[in-house]
Amino acid sequence: MTIRKKARYVDLDLCNSCGDCADVCPQVAPDEYQMGLSSRKAVYIPFPQAVPCSYILDMDTCLGNNPIACGKCADVCEKEAIDFDDADELVTREVGAIIVAIGLDVYDPTEMDEYGYTRYDNVITSMEFERLICAGGPTMGHFVRPSDQERPKRIGFIQCVGSRNPKIGRPYCSNICCMNTVKDTLLLADHYPDTENFVFYQDIRAFGKSFEDMFQRSKEAGTRYIRGLPGDIEEDPETGTLTVTVENTTSSGGLERHELDMVVLSVGVIPATDRDKIASLLTLSKTSDGFFMESHPKLKPVDAPTRGVYFAGFCESPKDIKDSVCQAGAASSRAGALLNAGEIKIEAITSIIDPELCSMCGLCANVCPYGAINWQKKEVATVIEAACAGCGACGATCTFGAITMRHFTDQQLIAQVRATLAEDPEEKVFVFACNWCSYAGGDMAGISRIQYPSTNRVVRTMCSARVSEEMVLEAFRCGAPVVLVSGCHYADCHYIDANRQTVKRVQKLWNKLEKAGVRPERLQLEWISAAEGQKFAKVMGQMEEKRILVTPDEIAHAREALKPKKKKVRPAKKKPVAAKEATA
Amino acid sequence: MATVTMAPFRCMMCGHEYQEKVVAGEDVERSCPKCRSNSIRHLKAKKKPAA
Repeated sequence: MTIRKKARYVDLDLCNSCGDCADVCPQVAPDEYQMGLSSRKAVYIPFPQAVPCSYILDMDTCLGNNPIACGKCADVCEKEAIDFDDADELVTREVGAIIVAIGLDVYDPTEMDEYGYTRYDNVITSMEFERLICAGGPTMGHFVRPSDQERPKRIGFIQCVGSRNPKIGRPYCSNICCMNTVKDTLLLADHYPDTENFVFYQDIRAFGKSFEDMFQRSKEAGTRYIRGLPGDIEEDPETGTLTVTVENTTSSGGLERHELDMVVLSVGVIPATDRDKIASLLTLSKTSDGFFMESHPKLKPVDAPTRGVYFAGFCESPKDIKDSVCQAGAASSRAGALLNAGEIKIEAITSIIDPELCSMCGLCANVCPYGAINWQKKEVATVIEAACAGCGACGATCTFGAITMRHFTDQQLIAQVRATLAEDPEEKVFVFACNWCSYAGGDMAGISRIQYPSTNRVVRTMCSARVSEEMVLEAFRCGAPVVLVSGCHYADCHYIDANRQTVKRVQKLWNKLEKAGVRPERLQLEWISAAEGQKFAKVMGQMEEKRILVTPDEIAHAREALKPKKKKVRPAKKKPVAAKEATA
Repeated sequence: MATVTMAPFRCMMCGHEYQEKVVAGEDVERSCPKCRSNSIRHLKAKKKPAA
């Protein structure tokens, strides 16, 4: 693992945090920690209680070090800790496990124009509120509104700004905003008992330990909770007072207008914006919301699908401090167990590549979701067995027969296809089902006693991506009227995103079948999760309806039309005759 | 900015044909708006006849 250690331009061992450098620094920049509500110098301590508690020089703000344009900080530093020649350092470490804890970003509500954020001074976000009410904040804890530095008396909180809103592409609940607002109203009631607080909400989600009690205390403290999200905010340009229009759905009053001194937008959280870089480095997959996907939501909630990688905190899903701490503890325990294991047992279901048959095309390396195949141009591919998870996507992609998937070899699966369809194939619905979801969906249908036609015959593969073109074609050659390839839903794929290869392959097969004069509708693709017993039964019913419609002539035609073509044997190239022999 | 195009799709289960947005590089699970089947075939856009 190579880590870039960024240059601080201040020697950590020499700096005693006296602050003389910041006192003389002429360059000023917005303080990121204070949400831009105050300023800092170019040489600064990022935030109080920073570890290490030492100054850092922000070269983007500094007047420059090449050539040195100012150098006042270096002149005043008695310890000579300022080092303008400092440079980024690349550190290499061998690691056995990686814990991903890259945190989150906060939603920027500027795009929600109806709330007037950045248009009206007194509309602030919950993060800015946090700084304003904090004793270590820009106003030393004196709560004032930005427009006139007066203390606001009527404050409104708007919930779900950037959360639970499919219109702006953020349909998920951010988990923390409700309780953060409840806490803020209690703080205000405690610090300034004469303030009137209003909370505009669609639901208050107070499901954690003691959270309901906290919510009740907030109500008892006088906070008025109004169910309804405001549709509009208007500002009086002279006084800065804000008029909030809202439909109160809990009263018969309907539309209400509230004059407020300040509005706090309870902004949601979004996945860290630079997560794609980490996802690419560690071959991680993401949910539709953009958070990293765990290996299994119940059984491996802190494990990434890539072995040896664990999640802690927001990067996996929105959660509060308590849950983040729990997850961090679990992740470190999982990592510790792995590091102390000495020997690691891996699944026996892995790929092996026959170097004699490998054509060095690299297709297998392209489709491997784990990056478990080493391949360089004009070199035989090799499998890193410790990284291989056994999805079989590589084996199904290799058309040269160079890859053997242990326990699910081509020969074994083709033999299963032939044996299943050896007798009365026209009466069978042939199904390929993935081990984790679709096959378990069939089990669920069974244990739930859901009735469905008994004509289906299921062949199990670890992942739907293991089902090669040849296996599907072989089923049709053996007389299958209809074939179903089924796997996990996109968000549930147990092999990161291997089932995307299934989609590509089935698309290709539909084209191939059509070209051969076989109705492509005879091949179907479905995503069935382990909990979807109902869907499994429904699909089996639909497949049976399709089977009945397939005529014996169609089956016979498919048998003939899909017969494997004899491979053309290229004539061996004649060796060039040596020059001497030619002249002779 | 990602390229967004409208592409034709056909449900192989119920035969419903429809147009849907395709965002370049987007990874979405498709299902038929009519029958919810996942057997969705991405049809090739028909070429316009030469003038």
